[in-house]
Order: sequence, then structure tokens, then C-alpha cells
Amino acid sequence: MSEDYKDNIEIQTQSSESISGGGSGATTDIDYVRPAEVGEQDLYHGHSFITKWIFCQDAKVIGVQYFLLATFTGIIGLILSWLMRLQLGFPELAGFMTAEHYYQFVTMHGMIMVVYFLTALFLGGFGNFLIPLMVGARDMVFPYLNMISFWMFFIAVGVLLASFFVPGGPTGAGWTLYPPQAIKEGTPGSGYGILLMCISLVLFVAGFTMGGLNYLITVLQARTRGMTLMRMPLTVWGIFTATILAMLAFPALLVGGLMLSLDKILGTSFFMPTILQAGEVLDYGGGSPILFQHLFWFFGHPEVYIVALPAFGIISDLISVHARKNIFGYRMMVWAIVAIGGLSFFVWAHHMYVSGMNPWFGFFFATTTLIIAVPTAMKVYNWILTLWRGNIRLNVVMLWCLGFIVTFVNGGITGIFLGNVTVDVPLSDTYFVIAHFHMVMGIAPLMVIMGAVYHWFPLVSGRFLDERLGKWHFWATFLGAYSIYFPMHYLGFIGVPRRYFEMYDSPYVTSAVGMNEFISMAAFLVGAAQFILIYNIIKTLKVGKPAGHNPWKANSLEWLTPSVPPEHGNWGDRLPVVHRWPYDYSVPGAKEDFITQTTPPSEVANTEVEKT
Amino acid sequence: MSNPKIEGYEFKPGFKGMSEDTGSDQTMFKGVHWGKAMMWIFLLSDTFIFSCFLISYMKGRGSTPVDWPNPSEVFALHVGGVPVPLLLIAIMTFVLITSSGTMALAVKYGYEKNRKMCGWLILATAVGGLTFVGMQAFEWSKLIHEGVRPWENPFGAKQFGSFFFMITGFHGTHVSIGVIFLSIYAYKTFAGHYDERKRGWFTSIKGDYVEIEILGLYWHFVDLVWVFIFAFFYLW
Amino acid sequence: MEETKKQEQTTTHKIGIYLWIWGLLFVLSFFSYMVDWMQFQGLVRWSLILLFMFLKAGLIMAFFMHLFWERYALVNVLLWPMTAIACFIWLMVAEFKYTLFTRLFYFFIGG
Repeated sequence: MSEDYKDNIEIQTQSSESISGGGSGATTDIDYVRPAEVGEQDLYHGHSFITKWIFCQDAKVIGVQYFLLATFTGIIGLILSWLMRLQLGFPELAGFMTAEHYYQFVTMHGMIMVVYFLTALFLGGFGNFLIPLMVGARDMVFPYLNMISFWMFFIAVGVLLASFFVPGGPTGAGWTLYPPQAIKEGTPGSGYGILLMCISLVLFVAGFTMGGLNYLITVLQARTRGMTLMRMPLTVWGIFTATILAMLAFPALLVGGLMLSLDKILGTSFFMPTILQAGEVLDYGGGSPILFQHLFWFFGHPEVYIVALPAFGIISDLISVHARKNIFGYRMMVWAIVAIGGLSFFVWAHHMYVSGMNPWFGFFFATTTLIIAVPTAMKVYNWILTLWRGNIRLNVVMLWCLGFIVTFVNGGITGIFLGNVTVDVPLSDTYFVIAHFHMVMGIAPLMVIMGAVYHWFPLVSGRFLDERLGKWHFWATFLGAYSIYFPMHYLGFIGVPRRYFEMYDSPYVTSAVGMNEFISMAAFLVGAAQFILIYNIIKTLKVGKPAGHNPWKANSLEWLTPSVPPEHGNWGDRLPVVHRWPYDYSVPGAKEDFITQTTPPSEVANTEVEKT
Repeated sequence: MSNPKIEGYEFKPGFKGMSEDTGSDQTMFKGVHWGKAMMWIFLLSDTFIFSCFLISYMKGRGSTPVDWPNPSEVFALHVGGVPVPLLLIAIMTFVLITSSGTMALAVKYGYEKNRKMCGWLILATAVGGLTFVGMQAFEWSKLIHEGVRPWENPFGAKQFGSFFFMITGFHGTHVSIGVIFLSIYAYKTFAGHYDERKRGWFTSIKGDYVEIEILGLYWHFVDLVWVFIFAFFYLW
Repeated sequence: MEETKKQEQTTTHKIGIYLWIWGLLFVLSFFSYMVDWMQFQGLVRWSLILLFMFLKAGLIMAFFMHLFWERYALVNVLLWPMTAIACFIWLMVAEFKYTLFTRLFYFFIGG
């Protein structure tokens, strides 16, 4: 048996050499890597304050800009959620809030969190900072366009926030913006609010198309020598696949938003059927509201995977570094990400089971939805198997990883409930749905973001965030988030509807009053706990413990730059040359428990490493 | 342009080649300039936009219980009192396809470093585009004169006007943007920016004739969309 | 990444092929126009419209946009996403038929 294994190693060595163009087949140069295909990138170096920090073309600066703007917008979303919880838990204290205000908060909270916070953060924030570093490039392929993409996002956020200040206020149609209500009187913000929302989304899509082109082509065309697609860290795979989804899904949102605006401005009837308003027949006719729903969810479902896939990728890297173990089943993890990405275009109408669409669609979409659960579940098994018998360091980053796995499994299982049509019918538009998507899209990716911040902060700033404060932050957030969303599953089962301003007077719902108060208290506490992180960051930037070079002893390229934080151009004089995948942790026979991607085979000749 | 020589890499044909390319290091699209790859992916995204427009049109037209106007009649031009169905559209199609041809030639001459021919052909393409937009504008004004509006029309279902103006408007905007870029690139070609490899005013990147090919891809895409609009909207 | 180390060894095509393709496109456009002029209806009309449309689109993509000579990696990356569009089209056909059915049902038979 072991002889077979050795034979396979030799065969693999030979074939990998011939693929990489090794000369006569002699094993004299096992360190050979193909020469560079194209010349060095010509980078624009800014010299003034404005060209170095404001209109900067360096992807790392752009990444931090995205991160800061997305976080700022996310904090506004958080405040909106406090206002919502105040009304739901303690309505007597929320006297200043009318039902219209509440719906506007619901809508803006949803749109901000999904699109302007999570998508922008994962793709724009982490994508810009990490992709060039992890693939060994000096910068994105088109830095100028990358810079423009951030400022488009900036303007999009400006337009979105401006909708708070226009007559009628922001739209209160729900983040799904369904017509005909979205543009009719009676829905808050049906005048300027919905228009500004659509304009903001169009600008956002334009900006993210520009950014997305950069991320995709940098990964496909600008990798360094030796960096094959199957040697990229899963973080890159996650963000890369999410970007492909973004490029293909945002068009549907653009089209839907454009047609909705035209229905409002020009009185077209794309989505507007013959309709009465306060007894008066409006001028519309012949349109189809369900067309909007199809367009929106053709975008909307890939959108949630745009949020989830980078989280999957990042968590794989965090777990393997902090458990000192290779990710279990790397190839299958890659294929799972790709499969989930591909399948995500075929499941959209599971958001529409009760919409009145063609009834036969339920069969099709429930089937595809349950199929897409398979690669997702497989990823969860692989994360657990990565942890199994790993040399786990229970630091803050690992805590966030464990929190992610727990919350994601919880949210994923409730997704299976909702994916089945018959179970979805009574649970649709109840708090069960809210519990599901917050767990799986709010809490779990948030755990990843927090873990990623604690993990990569030493790279961005050269200092460690405080561990103790981090642990307080983790436990408050994790236990608090569970306290918020777990009870919501029960609320959903007893039928409490979502997007309701108040609970009104009904026997089964009044029993939920106590639970609502508990949830609201938990929400305020979790919100407050986030200030621990902000304090931690400010304190660290002033007096934090220096981290030095590669403090976590990780393998991937972003930790191997000549200077920390990496300078413009990332690699100094010489681009890195990659010889292996980024998961050679705890390799038997190796001197240390990690072998970096740039370590040539001749330096680890005595070990038996996996050939990826 | 195709199958370039790359040191240390052996090209294999067909699907075997595709899996080798995908599994290799550095690049997946061998020899493809990053700008060209970006334009292709952008066009893929734009294809999805126009597909969503056309699918919405299909859904809207298919589900209306009111009769849809007959395109051959609505879009007919009257020549000497005789209605010639789709005459204007036929001329527009001819103009756009010709401009696609001149663009492809411009790319060829650009790579051959024939500055003059390249420049004139880009200009010819721009003129073709401008003619197309002009004819589209004429068609719009004719229909508006006959009472077609985005919100209603005298010929049939309400959605006819809305889909017509929206889809042709979006396409026409794409053509117009293309004409603007073509004019800029014609100027840059005549001024020798691509021969001298002069740095761009905004991007500071060195000029290269591959930019003409990239713009060419965009222009052919615009023509491609017109093929689909022509088939689905005017003929169907 | 945007500068090539080696010499510009761009092999361009002869002018003839562009003229041939242009001519073919013209001929196919003429045939498409004939479909309307000859007033074909029903399945014949639709099949012919789609046939000529895909042929024209194919010629433009293959020759003017150069995909005929590009390596498979690029061609496949561009073409496989169309399956998502095809699925969307297929489902929206079912949806418009259902919408029309419900409208006709409720308009003429009532709720």
C-alpha cells in the first residue's frame, strides 16, 4: 500500500513537472516554475495627499475606503434596527414613530444591510485588499477604474441617504420594493423616496460592475508565477465566485429598478395592472407585478450568495490558520463554491411560493433549492473535519469561526424548512423567515467579518487587536445575537407576521409581547457591544502590541510581503513565486507547523506534502 | 492575436487545451490582454441586461389580453403612397452591420500599424453609428407624431410603446456612447497616440492598438443586440 | 500585465474574410426581411426568424468579435452563462401563459 502511494507521488511529480514545462524530465530542478508570461504592471504612484489617500489607485487604500464607508452605512442600518426594535419591544416609548416611519426604517435597514453594507464590505473591502495580495499581483489590473468604482459607491450611498431628507422621506416599500404598492400613494416614500432608491441602486450597480471587472480579471489574468487557480486561498475563490454572481445578477436589479422608475415617472405600465386608488381608476393597465418579483429575485437570490460565498471562503482560511491544519477537502470546497454559485441562478422563485406565480414552479424551485443545500452542507462537514484533531488555538479569531459554524448551521437548517413549498406557506412572511435570514446572512457573515478583522488587522496596521477586549466582544455578540434571533423562530411558528408596525390585539400574539421585549433588550445590548470593537481599534492604533512579520504563521501570500503593512506595489522589487497551495500546515516531517506558499520543494524535501 | 507564443507553455487544442489553460498558473486566457478580457466580461454583463429587457418584453407581450400592434404596419414607411413595411429598419440594420464591418477592418489595420486606414475606418464606423442614431430618432419622432407614448398608444396594448421606447432607447444610448468613444479613438489614432504609446489623460496607462480591438468588441456587441431587437421586436 | 514582453507578432487576417462575412450578414438580413414580406405566420415564421437571428449573431460573434480563433477557455466562459438566461426565458414563457390564463379566466368567467 505504502509503495503504491510512493509510486503515485513520483508520477505526480513527473506530470506536474511536464505541465510546468520542466525540461528533460530529470528531477534536477524540482523548484522550476514557468517564467512570467507578461511584463510587470505599470503602476501609477500618487505623490500628493489627494492622490495618495483620497483619489488613490492603490487597491489596498481603496479596500480600506470601501470598508470604512460600508461600516459607516452599516452603523446607520444598525441604528435603524434599534428604532425598529424599540417600537416592537417598547411601543410606549416609541411614540414619536408612526407606522410610516416604521416601514421606512424596515426598508432602509434591509437595503442598507444587504447591499450597501455586506456586499460592499465583502467584495469592495476584503476583495480589494486581499485579492491582489493573495494572488501575488502588485495591484488590480485596472487601478484607475477601481478608484472610480469606489467613488461611484460613495455617490450611491449619498443618494440613498439623501432619500431621508426629501419630501415624503425614504421609501417604505420593504427592501424588496414590490410594485404596485411601491409607487402608489399610501406607501411611504412613493414619491421621491422610491426614485432616489432606484437611482442609488443603478449607481451602485454601475460602480460594482467596474470593481467586479477588476476583481475577476485580476484573479484570472494577473496571478503570479506558480499560482494556479487550485493554489489560491479559498478567500479568493469565495470573493471571485461572488463577483461572477454580481456581474450576472445585478443586471436584473438594474432592469427591474429602471422599469419601476419609468412606471413612476412616465406612467408606463410595466408592472402596474389596472388598479383602483381610493375609488378612482388609475391610468395604468396591463402590467404584471409578478414580473418585477421574478426580476428582483433573479437578482435577489444570487445576491444572498454574493454575501455568503466570500464568508465561506474567508472562514475556511481562518479555520485552517488557527487550527494549524489544511482545509479538509480543498478541491471539493472549491467545487462546492462554484456549484453553489452556478446553482444560485436556478432557485430564485423559492422567495415567491406564495406570490401567485405559476403553481408548477413550486416543484421546480423546491427541487433546485434542496439540491443547492447539498454542496452547502458538504462545506459545513469539511469545516468541522478541518477542526477535527487540529491543533486548535482558541484565540478570538477561532471563537468567531466557531460562532460562524454554529449560527450558519442553525440558519441553514431553517432554510431547508422554508425551501419546501408546503412548509413555507404557513411560515412565509412571519418571523420565522426573519430568524432564518438574519442567522444565515446577518449573524453568520458578521461573525466572519469580525473574525477577519481580528485576523487581518495585524497585516493592515502592523498591530494586534487586544485579545481580552476581543473575547468580551465575541461573547456579547454571539450570545446576544442568539438571544435576538432564536426566539424569533417561535414567534414565526405561532404566526406573528413580519413587517407589522405593532402587534395589535389578538390572543396568540399578545403572548409574544414578553418575547418581543426580551429580543429588543438583547438587540440594544448587542448593538452596544460593537462599541467594544471600535474602542479596541482606536486603542490599538494608538498603543497596540506590534505584530511584526507573519504573526499568525500563515502560508498565504498576503503575509509574505517585504514590509508590513504592505507598501504600494506590494512586493518590492521581486514578485513572489509560488510552489504550493496555502494549506501546508502541520505537515509531518516539516521543521515548522507551516510551509509558506513561496517555499520551494527543495527546502522541504524530507516531507510528504499534498500536491496542489 | 490567436495562439501567441508563450515561453515554456505548450498550447493544446480544444477542450483539453481549455482544461490545461484553466489549470495553469498566471493566466487562464492565454495571450489575452487584460483590457480585452475586461471588455468581454462587461459585455457578458450587458448581455444579461438586454436579456432581462427582452425577457420582460416577452412576458409583457405574452400576458396581455389586448392585441399587440402589428409591427409591419406600425413601422412601415410610406414611399410614394405605398407602405413599405420595415423599410427604415432594414436600412438601419444595413447601416449598423456595415459599421461593424468597418470596425473589424479598423482593428485589422490598427494591428498592422496602418495609422491612416485605421483612423479613417474608425471614423467611418462613427459616421455609421451616428446615422443609425439619427434614423432611430427619426423613427421615434414619427411614432410620437402618430400618438405612440410610453404610457399608451392608438395601435394596441399599452405596453407596446413603453417597451419600444425603453429597449430602443437603451440600445440607442449604447450606440451613442459608442460613437463618442469612436470619435475620441479616431482622434487618438490620427494623432499617433498608439504609435507613440502615449499615456492616457485619465488612466496614465500607455496607449496600445489593442484598445481599438477592445472598442471594436463593444461596437460589435451593439450590433449583436440590434440583431436580437430586430428579430424580437420588429419581426416577431 | 498589460505590456507584452515579446515582439508584436500579431497575425492579422486578409481583407477578404471581412467582406465575405459582411456579405453573408447582408444576405441573412435580407432573408429575415423576406420572412415579413412573404407574410409567413405561426411556427414557420418563428422558426425562420430565430434561425436567421442565431446565424447572424453567430457570425458576428465568431468572426467580427474573433471568437472563432480564440481559445476554448474564453469561448466557454462566455457561452455557458447563457444557460441561466435560457432557464429564465423558459420559466417566463410558462409564467406569461399562466398570467394570460388567469386574466382570461377572471375577466370572462369571473372570480
